[in-house]
Amino acid sequence: MKEAIAYSIMGLGAGGFYALMAMGIVVAYKGSGVINFSHGAIAMYVAFQFYNLRTEGIFRLPWFDILPTSWLNIPVKFSLNDGMPINFWLCVLLALLTSVLIGALIHYLVFKPLRNAAPLGKVIGAIGVMTYFLGVASLQFGSNIPNPEAVLFKDDLFQNFLGLGLPVSVEALALAASAIIVGAILWAVFRYTRTGLATRAAAGNEKGAVLLGYSPEKLALFNWVLAALLAGLAGILAGTVTGSLSTGKFTALIVPALGAALIGSMSSIPLAIGGALLIGSLQTFTSTWMVGESWFPSWLQSGARDAIPLIIIVAVLFLKGKSLPIRGNIEEKRLPLAPYPKRVGKYVAIFVPLGFILAAGLPGDFLFAGLTGNWGFSFTASLVAAMFGLSFVILAGYVGQISLVQISLAGTAAFITARFVANEGPSDANPFAVGGPHWPWPLASLVGIIAAVLVGLIVAIPALRIRGVQLAVVTIAASISMWTLFFDNPSATKLQGGSAYEFGTPHFFGVDIGSTSSSGLTDNPKYTLFCLIVLAGLCVVVANLRRGSTGRRFLAVRANERAAASAGVNVPGTKFLAFGIASAVAGVAGVMTAYQTSSTAATNWEYGIGLSALAFCYLGGITSINGAILGGMIAGGGIVSTFGSFHSPGLYSYTAIMGGLGMIATAIIHPAGQASIFQPLMRHFGSWLLVARGKEWGVVLKRLWPFLLGGGAWGAIGINPWRTDSWNRGWMIVLGILIVLFVRNIVTQVKAAKAAKALPDTNSLQEVTA
Amino acid sequence: MSALLETTELTVSYGGLHANSNVNIKAEKGKLTGLIGPNGAGKTTFIDAITGFTNVSSGRAEFNGNDLAGVVPSDRAKRGLVRTFQSLELFEDLTVWDNLIVMAEETKWWSFLADIVKPNRVLGIEEQAEWALNLLGLAEHREKLTLDLSHGQRKLVSVARALAAKPSMLLLDEPAAGLDTVESQQLGQHLREILKQDISIFLIDHDMGLVLSVCDYIYVLDFGKIIAEGTPEEVRNNPEVKRAYLGETAGEMQAEGGAAAARTLSGEG
Repeated sequence: MKEAIAYSIMGLGAGGFYALMAMGIVVAYKGSGVINFSHGAIAMYVAFQFYNLRTEGIFRLPWFDILPTSWLNIPVKFSLNDGMPINFWLCVLLALLTSVLIGALIHYLVFKPLRNAAPLGKVIGAIGVMTYFLGVASLQFGSNIPNPEAVLFKDDLFQNFLGLGLPVSVEALALAASAIIVGAILWAVFRYTRTGLATRAAAGNEKGAVLLGYSPEKLALFNWVLAALLAGLAGILAGTVTGSLSTGKFTALIVPALGAALIGSMSSIPLAIGGALLIGSLQTFTSTWMVGESWFPSWLQSGARDAIPLIIIVAVLFLKGKSLPIRGNIEEKRLPLAPYPKRVGKYVAIFVPLGFILAAGLPGDFLFAGLTGNWGFSFTASLVAAMFGLSFVILAGYVGQISLVQISLAGTAAFITARFVANEGPSDANPFAVGGPHWPWPLASLVGIIAAVLVGLIVAIPALRIRGVQLAVVTIAASISMWTLFFDNPSATKLQGGSAYEFGTPHFFGVDIGSTSSSGLTDNPKYTLFCLIVLAGLCVVVANLRRGSTGRRFLAVRANERAAASAGVNVPGTKFLAFGIASAVAGVAGVMTAYQTSSTAATNWEYGIGLSALAFCYLGGITSINGAILGGMIAGGGIVSTFGSFHSPGLYSYTAIMGGLGMIATAIIHPAGQASIFQPLMRHFGSWLLVARGKEWGVVLKRLWPFLLGGGAWGAIGINPWRTDSWNRGWMIVLGILIVLFVRNIVTQVKAAKAAKALPDTNSLQEVTA
Repeated sequence: MSALLETTELTVSYGGLHANSNVNIKAEKGKLTGLIGPNGAGKTTFIDAITGFTNVSSGRAEFNGNDLAGVVPSDRAKRGLVRTFQSLELFEDLTVWDNLIVMAEETKWWSFLADIVKPNRVLGIEEQAEWALNLLGLAEHREKLTLDLSHGQRKLVSVARALAAKPSMLLLDEPAAGLDTVESQQLGQHLREILKQDISIFLIDHDMGLVLSVCDYIYVLDFGKIIAEGTPEEVRNNPEVKRAYLGETAGEMQAEGGAAAARTLSGEG
């Protein structure tokens, strides 16, 4: 018993860290009504900054050098003392300055423009910031995992604390104490200062605060800087309490902090601190004392710690989800329209054969030998990413439910399938191989997909009571917790030391449709054809759902849950159905990903990968099928990013950054995504090709020739007209032109958005009805 | 005469505030029953309580002889008790026609599987929806998104949507708010037309002109309590009603186009 109490007290250190984080989340919510998912990422960035300042005296700025020139660069990295440590207090000051800079930047660049966006837009903005910082941190700090020293009372221990028989570090208690002190200061600020009072007033009624002469923007700026400072403070003080963490795992500490903030109903600082200390205590108590008990299930041992915040979040939202304060904004925009899919059959009939030609090349490799090697792999990756995107389209696009757990569902399907297709266990070739019943691949895949649906439906249960932003909180917590509880838990997966499950080669009536071709590379065009057919099938399914009674009910629920209920629509049932279908689609994508790489490991299913996927789907257009396909093409590791890497190697490491920035820009400028621009373009272009006269061609060419020429020239690099063996790269001219037109399209949109600001906001998607 | 909708001592409280207290109402089959009252009298709370959008503190509501307690809003709609909203609450992402179809169609748990195979099935409810569309003169706007319609047209869509389900009782929450006098009169005619289709109506409004001219029986609500009931004639001459309306909110009625109502009340109409 004494031990149990001692362990709970040790947990106060982590609790203090969560408390500092939770206060920042509360402050940001009070100031702007945004549940800041990026808070953990900001704390992570400052923590890594602080660590590098302390050990090497290197100061970095939270951006990256986008200029391709070697003589003109954007300043990013400063070595202050030739790689030697610098003064401790200077480190603290610089780290806090970084926080202030980040707070001001995200206010001005992200959340101020998103002030009147739909709730989904704000969540996307926050997730975009999170994705961005994950990307910048891995670019700047690489994959090295720091081992930070304590900041408070280094190496001091209370031997035999309170006579409980165990040593407790002074650092842990000091961290809890400093959280309480900071909390008291904050409480006083919100209670007694004018700005604090105004913030509280605006949180209750923004319009009222405006009428009283307060500028909500200044208040928001103040609160964002304050929130970022708190994140920075948490990152600095974390010391040894959080242990040595990778960028991803540090960012994941947002989950317990969110749990604590929710205990405080996103508004009470004392309750948030109390909740945070409780979570910290419970975690340490569970992971050190409880797991040692004989009744504790062995498969839960390594994940128990991370299950606690998830349980708390679900419980809090379930019990008082409806009583959480919802900010009454002055104006709130809707989600973009979900267009009615037309001519799906024709698209399938054209694009499946076209895709196959792209993968396999022309007969006899005449002029074009098809996408081989990395090209073939990335094209298939794009198709699979598009499948995954469709699960977001169903849930977020059609029903308005923001689910961040889709990546875990895809992973569940892949892992379960892997267990069933596996045959003999460890061998000389792979001592870590996991054995299984060796079922035929279609059957095993089906079992995997059903497993994903079941897990998805369990996650959906809280969604029936809560909605919108709160659902995003639950699902990101579920995604992060599932990773530690299941994917990265050897006692649950039987995978030792981060090894991977082996997938056999699927055969279809004797034909090898596995991803590995005869050359030994993962570019088998037959697998690409398999992916094309599966993707086309999923597109038809999703399109038909959208066009039928199911789609009408989905959109009715998305538009207005009250009205849907009054129209006899079973709202919980409809959401449940959407979760089930989206889980199945995510499951298909998961299994196809696993077949593509012929193996699957825990690292394939981390939450950050899911966020990136969502980012690109949103960039493409989350409310339409075309959006998912476009999202797949531009996704990390997809065909467009490979094309970029071909000319500028290393572009792949910018995937998360580009995804995050693209997500933020899309949320601000054009929430309907890029696909809605392409759609009418494609439609007009199709009929136009047939009827346009020479004169009209001339007009278009006159306007676009620099782009056509530039893009063509870019794509043509690497083609030598005198060497016939380089001619098979001819198609890259077309791709180059397409990419340049795509970029031009974005620029035109930005200009149009600026011009439209002067006009009253008519719906940007009038084409849908046309 | 059987009451289609009946409430017994229905009370809705928010904390200490009684938004509705001991409200007894009977709405007869085939009749147009009205509920009037000044702003804040608890009219919308009453409709929310019968349709399941707010919790009833005590008392009961019966529809077609069945107690409604514990029935979720969507099931009440399926039983034929359909409402409109003062704030319209249309499905803005759907066309006018699809708005009606969502209301009209019956779905089964396997409907989504049928959709995957054949999304544009004939549902057998098109006729009813067509009728509702034509009755309210919306045929030409059929394929438009509700976003692109005027406020008055959107108002009509909300009524048409409720009618598309061929309900046995239609609850209208302030359908005349924001309409001009001519539109309001047209609405009155539509309501009479609807009654002929064996659809009973329960009309809530504070436009006395409309309510007094079309209703068969009227209840008057003030501060959550029924202060008067009777035929339009009886209500018109009730001194309590005059006091509640003219004594306290005459200025506001003027603004709401209630001048006609005031004339009616004073006996000139």
